[in-house]
Amino acid sequence: MNGPVIQHTSPQIAQPAGISSTMRDVIVALIPALAMAVFLFGPRVLAVTAVSVGTCVLAEYGYCRLRGLPNPTGDLSACVTGLLLAMSLPATAPYWAPVLGGLFAIVVVKQLYGGLGRNFLNPALAGRTLLCTFPGLMTHWVDAFHYPSLLGGADAVSAATPMASLHAGELPDLTLGQLLLGQHGGAMGGVPAFMLILGGVYLVGRRVISPRIPLAFVGTVALLTLLFPRGDGGALAWMTAQLLGGGLMLGAIFMASDYTTTPVTPLGQTLFGVGCGALTVLLRYFGSYPDGVGWAILTMNCCVWLLDRSAIPRRFGLGRFARARAWVGELKESAAAIRFVPPKLKFLARAGEGTMPGEGYLDELRGKVRQWGAVAGVFLVVCGAVFGVHRLTDYAAVRAETEAQEALLAQVMPQATMRTETPYRAAGALSITAGYNDSGLVGYCVEVQANGFGGLLTAVVGVNTNGEVTGVAVTSHRETEGVGTDAMTEEYLSQYVGKSGTIRSSGNNAVDAVSGATATSQAVTACVNQALAIVANLDTEGSVSYVDGEV
Amino acid sequence: MLRRYLGGVHPVSYKASTRRKPIVPLERPPEQVVIPLTMCTGGGSAAVVKPGDQVTVGQVIAKPLDMGVYVHASVSGRVRAIEPRPHPWGGKWDAIVIDNDGLDTPCPSLPGPMDWARMDRMEALQRICKAGITSMGGGASPTHLRIAKSVGRVDTLIVSAAECEPYLTADHRLLLEKGDQVLQSVQMLAQLLRADRAVLVVAGDKLNAVEFLERRLRRKRRSVELCTIQTRYPLGMEKQLVRTVTGREVPPGRSAIDVKCAVFNVATAYTVRQALLEGTPLTHRAVTVSGGAVARPRNLWVPIGTPLRCLLESSGGLREEPAVILTGGPMTGTVQTDLDAPVVKNTNALLCLTREERGSAGEPETVCVRCGHCVASCPMNLNPAFVYRAVRMGETERLPQLHLEDCMECGCCTYSCPSHIPLEDLVRQAKKLCQEGGNQG
Repeated sequence: MNGPVIQHTSPQIAQPAGISSTMRDVIVALIPALAMAVFLFGPRVLAVTAVSVGTCVLAEYGYCRLRGLPNPTGDLSACVTGLLLAMSLPATAPYWAPVLGGLFAIVVVKQLYGGLGRNFLNPALAGRTLLCTFPGLMTHWVDAFHYPSLLGGADAVSAATPMASLHAGELPDLTLGQLLLGQHGGAMGGVPAFMLILGGVYLVGRRVISPRIPLAFVGTVALLTLLFPRGDGGALAWMTAQLLGGGLMLGAIFMASDYTTTPVTPLGQTLFGVGCGALTVLLRYFGSYPDGVGWAILTMNCCVWLLDRSAIPRRFGLGRFARARAWVGELKESAAAIRFVPPKLKFLARAGEGTMPGEGYLDELRGKVRQWGAVAGVFLVVCGAVFGVHRLTDYAAVRAETEAQEALLAQVMPQATMRTETPYRAAGALSITAGYNDSGLVGYCVEVQANGFGGLLTAVVGVNTNGEVTGVAVTSHRETEGVGTDAMTEEYLSQYVGKSGTIRSSGNNAVDAVSGATATSQAVTACVNQALAIVANLDTEGSVSYVDGEV
Repeated sequence: MLRRYLGGVHPVSYKASTRRKPIVPLERPPEQVVIPLTMCTGGGSAAVVKPGDQVTVGQVIAKPLDMGVYVHASVSGRVRAIEPRPHPWGGKWDAIVIDNDGLDTPCPSLPGPMDWARMDRMEALQRICKAGITSMGGGASPTHLRIAKSVGRVDTLIVSAAECEPYLTADHRLLLEKGDQVLQSVQMLAQLLRADRAVLVVAGDKLNAVEFLERRLRRKRRSVELCTIQTRYPLGMEKQLVRTVTGREVPPGRSAIDVKCAVFNVATAYTVRQALLEGTPLTHRAVTVSGGAVARPRNLWVPIGTPLRCLLESSGGLREEPAVILTGGPMTGTVQTDLDAPVVKNTNALLCLTREERGSAGEPETVCVRCGHCVASCPMNLNPAFVYRAVRMGETERLPQLHLEDCMECGCCTYSCPSHIPLEDLVRQAKKLCQEGGNQG
């Protein structure tokens, strides 16, 4: 048309908020919780927070300085990251923990992916999760009002958190007021639930975050815990403890509502919250860590691209089910379009230009091998690293095993204070452990086997240097529960204590068999006899045979 | 109060400065008016007067070409020239320049009042066409064509006095000062269109007008429904109004008529009534002059063609240097660089905004933090964050799936972006890219 056309220009007004003012609002919303944490855990909270915030800001400044990028610290996002990281740590955390976590959060998680707006994991949570891999750091929580000292800190008493007892299936011994105000052990920022809710209300009121994610998250957790309660205090008490006891409020209000790592569409945000809630409950019920909020959020962070694409808002003007109908139509079309296509087979010999037949294919194969080799190499290295870390850090299993062994030996030879495995071997002995006390050798604990009613029965028998039995313990058996096991009670086994020589089933030097469990009793007696014989004949002077004795 | 569509934003309204100011004529009539030959989106008009001709108020000075409208002289005086002059929509275009003699002699050949009881539809349409009425809320489409298209095909007439953009109060004042006539005009339009239901939509920030109209309605027993809606931008957009009032959604690519609704602005309805019952063509309109930089913000009754400079002079001039001057509302209006541009038929406001009032508009753009505010605020359920990504990453093949043709350029996304990304511009750019892609493919 030959004439003027209305030149629409962009809106000449805009809402006054910017990134930095948004971040400032988040900091303001965190202040009540921080103040409460200082009240509960003492001044060390402030010190840890200061270290964490300082590390994050310096890391961001330093990285951008090195890369020659404009200084981004003015948008305060690093401050928020540092603050959230500190609040998810225990008050007793050593000062290197926030430094390491902050460096990882800012440099690896945020800046290597392109800085603000491009990271796909929540930096603070990722930093915290890295710190979770250090044994002991995230499992020792100090109780409220036990102020850890400003410099030491590691010596503070560790307390059972509500999450630990919830994880064990029991209700924590706390009132609703204590839960709300945070008078229990836990992460220093995750504890004052009421202050966190206050901050969340502030953020929603200022329209910094929409209430969709926190409500969906908390609502899902509430619903699932209400439907599947454990413990014996009632569903409502169980739900309340689950909602307020752990890091749920901190996670739902401040970490799951992080802009960058959540979906942009309203429906996607709701689904994100529901997913976080469901994962949290699953991890809390069936996981090995007491709390699963952090893992749940990080897992959902990885699904954001999927949620964004699947939860596009309904187009204005289309009916409510137009999408579903269109989808069904498409499905029908594609089903109709399916035809059987005979596969095209490649043959090995293919002549290239100026090359031998098949050489091109060989090159291709070589390329493939190189490609897959690289992938396999990376895979192996990662597997090795994971396995190594697991071996190095898997203290718990080893410690439990050793402790069980110690307890067993203490039972069969209470006189000894120290036990060592001996290199002696004897026919019929699975292992021989020597027991010592302050005055020297007490005796030997021998692990032996004999045939019982149902199969092999393994027992550890303690024999002192005088050739007397100090104790008997059955470690494994296949006897009938309730019948054979009558011959394994402490009462029965204690009859053997003090006996020596060869024990018979009747007459002198006898132990009465339990009626109904004769075979088992005889097997235990056989074990004891065998052990007595082994100790009596133990050749401690001669050459030591390292060959395993046949059983 | 109703709230039925998703999205939208709540800008600070700034209406307090003019909502109590009655509509008054200019302090000093303009010495010269500049009436552009094109004042509607349908097309231009051809001048029927020559330089040197004497004209009177209401005299036809240009006749429509194809889909244009009649143009009337808004003052009496002598035609000085027909030459390119600055147009408020942008650029310089042919306009009839009239020297005002200050007498305001009415045109003798104006038709008298129409006999409404007889209800001759053809005659009514003819009169509306001759009166040169365009929609006066900002759209500038020819009203007679719209009415002709809707006659008998709609069951609901929606007259909008929503005025959801900040600063604008001209419609609010019109409701308060000409309430009876407005109600009458709504009823007349409903009769003309043979609509069963006539709804006057008023936003919740004009409760005094609502109360006043309710009282008039009770007394006059008119069959007009009064609908008060929670204030939210962009309430006054056609599709959102239809959705809110009737619950129907206009399908993509269609207009309100397809769901049996006709939507008119309240000022347009009032002008239609004036044309039918008084016989006066569209020569004057109400304009809100407001903004922090204006010394005495007010509502003015202005002859079409008055240069914007005259409006500012009548409002006490500028108090300080404005950051931006624009005609129309701050969300959809047009930035003016030349104050010699005249008031045209769709100019509902002249705003001079200060730096503080603009909020963060025009601040340097930063990166998208994926906050999702643009998606949540889009009234058409579009996804501006994805458009941003597709345009900036050059993924133009994604654009057709984003339904950009639905965008009505309300600017909610740009308004709500905390990173100050000009999302509306990006969407416009993406539309162009889509069209080019379509042409190539």
